[in-house]
Amino acid sequence: MTAPGTASLPLRFAGVSAGYGSRPALRDLDLEVRPGEFVALAGPNGSGKTTLLRVVLGFVSPTAGRVELFGDPVESLTVLQRARRVAWLPQEESPRDDVRLLDYVLYGRYAFHGSLERDSRADYALARSILTQVGLADRAEDGILSISGGERQRAVLARALAQTTPLLLLDEPTSHLDIGHQLDLLARVRDLAHRQSVTVVAAMHDLNLAARFADRIVVLSRGRRVADGPPAEVLSEELLARVWGVVADLRREPRTGMPYLIPHRLAVTASGPGPGSGFGPVHLIGGGGAAAPFLRALADDGYALTVGALHLLDSDAEVAEALVVAGPIEAPFAPLSPEVRERHRSLLTGARAIVVTPFAVGPSNLANLEDLLPFASRTPILLVTMPPIVGRDFTGGRATAVFAQLRTSGARDVTGVEDVRRELRALASAPATPRA
Amino acid sequence: MSGSNGTAPEPPLRPTDGHRRRTYPRFVLLVVLAIVAVVVGLSPLIGSVFIPPMTVLRILWGIPNPCVGTSASATLCSNWDEIIWQARVPEIGLAVIAGAALGISGATLQGVFRNPLADPFLLGISSGGTIGAAIVFDFHVGQAAPDLFLPLFAFIGAIATGLVILGVALSRYGSVETLLLTGVALASLLSAVLALLLLYNPAGSEQVSFWLLGGLGTASWTVDGIAMGVLLVTGTLLCLFGRELNLMQLGGDVARSAGVDVRRVRVWLILLASLMTGVAVAFTGIIGFVGLVSPHVVRRVAGTDYRYVLPGSAVVGAAFLLGARDVSLLVFPSSVLPIGIFTAFFGAPFFIYLLFRRRPTSTMGTL
Repeated sequence: MTAPGTASLPLRFAGVSAGYGSRPALRDLDLEVRPGEFVALAGPNGSGKTTLLRVVLGFVSPTAGRVELFGDPVESLTVLQRARRVAWLPQEESPRDDVRLLDYVLYGRYAFHGSLERDSRADYALARSILTQVGLADRAEDGILSISGGERQRAVLARALAQTTPLLLLDEPTSHLDIGHQLDLLARVRDLAHRQSVTVVAAMHDLNLAARFADRIVVLSRGRRVADGPPAEVLSEELLARVWGVVADLRREPRTGMPYLIPHRLAVTASGPGPGSGFGPVHLIGGGGAAAPFLRALADDGYALTVGALHLLDSDAEVAEALVVAGPIEAPFAPLSPEVRERHRSLLTGARAIVVTPFAVGPSNLANLEDLLPFASRTPILLVTMPPIVGRDFTGGRATAVFAQLRTSGARDVTGVEDVRRELRALASAPATPRA
Repeated sequence: MSGSNGTAPEPPLRPTDGHRRRTYPRFVLLVVLAIVAVVVGLSPLIGSVFIPPMTVLRILWGIPNPCVGTSASATLCSNWDEIIWQARVPEIGLAVIAGAALGISGATLQGVFRNPLADPFLLGISSGGTIGAAIVFDFHVGQAAPDLFLPLFAFIGAIATGLVILGVALSRYGSVETLLLTGVALASLLSAVLALLLLYNPAGSEQVSFWLLGGLGTASWTVDGIAMGVLLVTGTLLCLFGRELNLMQLGGDVARSAGVDVRRVRVWLILLASLMTGVAVAFTGIIGFVGLVSPHVVRRVAGTDYRYVLPGSAVVGAAFLLGARDVSLLVFPSSVLPIGIFTAFFGAPFFIYLLFRRRPTSTMGTL
């Protein structure tokens, strides 16, 4: 066995491209993995994660560049030499035969035997200790097909570990497991990396799990490395939007400080650009949760949205923030200040359409309605009248009066979310000539 | 932190009967081997001519046949020595050798193709042999030495088909699925070629159809010697690939990641299995079901470890073919029926029985 040099890196990619056609799976990739690291490879489907692993395993030959395993070019190693340096845990291994677990683990010793050699006592001892390590010691005599899926993936891990390699590759190892087994498997792998200084490179779809267990996240997009570093530094809302096209909240777990994210929606809807893309900003006026359903629906349709003016801590303000919708914010319960109203008016000026959602009008937000008056003749205004304004007018009739004025200047009544979507679609398909 | 240490163990997905999984392959193989030895020992007693059992044993023991009695019966029994030593024993030898060859090549091909139906027939290797034989019969090739040319052409036909499959294996389209489908397509193509040959020149069709059902009629000490030589060399080589075949059952990529040079191993195994089939087909014609059934029987009784399935299939295949020979002679002592009829007659129902006697935990065993 060729002993990997101690000074050399477990894995080094230098200018590696792989794959054929107009869209190669890896493009000019540089990557260095240090000993004992747990590296998570992240990226959307088709970003090159699996290809990267397959290049290391020698299943795919790079079209350009150099891949080194412990200092030696991958293609210079024989299949046997490679199997002594790197082991692989596939996404799902489907054994056909009901092999005894202990024998199954011993399969991993293949690279250390001649054709005529039998499994030695040392091999059996190793297999048993690995089964203990993955928590399957009591199932050593059971057949691989008689254990559960979660246990089977641990058995497959055990088979890979029996290769006693300094580098372990995992290809979405937890995608078929329930959440308990996901945590269990990854915790075992991380312990392995840290305690026995096995280097781990894992393609992972679940970014929360990647952030929780990996020392380092390498983000691939279209075959290129677009981010690389500790999870807390790498993961950002901007990255999620750019690489995955997803609008998500990135929070920090209070106890560990680890980032975790809550995905909300696609930045661009899955069915391509929605009816609202390219229409121009739609401005919503709301408060107290009245605007929220309109915000979500119109965001899904792909409209550029603005909102205003809202009070801090208002539930509409939170939804707007989550959807990355801009709008002026006033201090809680305070009447709208001149600065806030000024910003609100500038948003109204830029709006292609204005939707007045059915919010409760009080002294602190009446100004939102009053500011509309100059725009009523220029910009289409949709007044949502379910429930009617009379029931939610807490300004002694002044709000109702503004509604009446808006109607005379051309504002139209609509009933709810679907009505608004319909009206906006009609506006979007009409020629974009501002009404005089 | 987490882990099943603290949690209740999950119930197994399927109920398992504990006695079933503990297979003792080495013990089972010894038992099967003992059975084969007994069948081999008893087989010389069976033949188209009745010879008293004690006389048979005496002749086998090397005691010259006294051939006492009237002059008429003396002439009748005077050739018993020759019947035993020049007909029955070589025939038994050929049955054992061809059965072993078919069994081990069936096991190999099922392993390489990860398919429980793979055998020399499905892949067209046997059909290639038939074409070779049909050419000899139809075109009267090498009439000077038919005993040499028939097996030679059958062997060449089988090996040539094996080489075509091998060529596909070496190309970059050599996935297991492509290989298997190539074999199936080749088998169809070859049977079409055979039909064409027979239509074009029906002269040899009777011989060909007899040959298609297989027989042990060509057996002689020379034939046995040649076949035995090939079986020993090829069989020993094949048995060295048990570990590789075990890993290849997990998929080519897993096997490669564990250190198996899958392409190289596949090429070797297809080559060796074609050689084995070629030898069997050359001397016995087409004998069905031995290659298909034998590995399944071994898996049932001795487990799925290819280190035992390979030699085990050879032993079971030998027992199967020899048993078919014995039964055919017991049932129809006076006529020499093609032995392939009997292997199919017993093999097919037994195979179906195996499939329906469900053993839920082996996909290879239950299709």
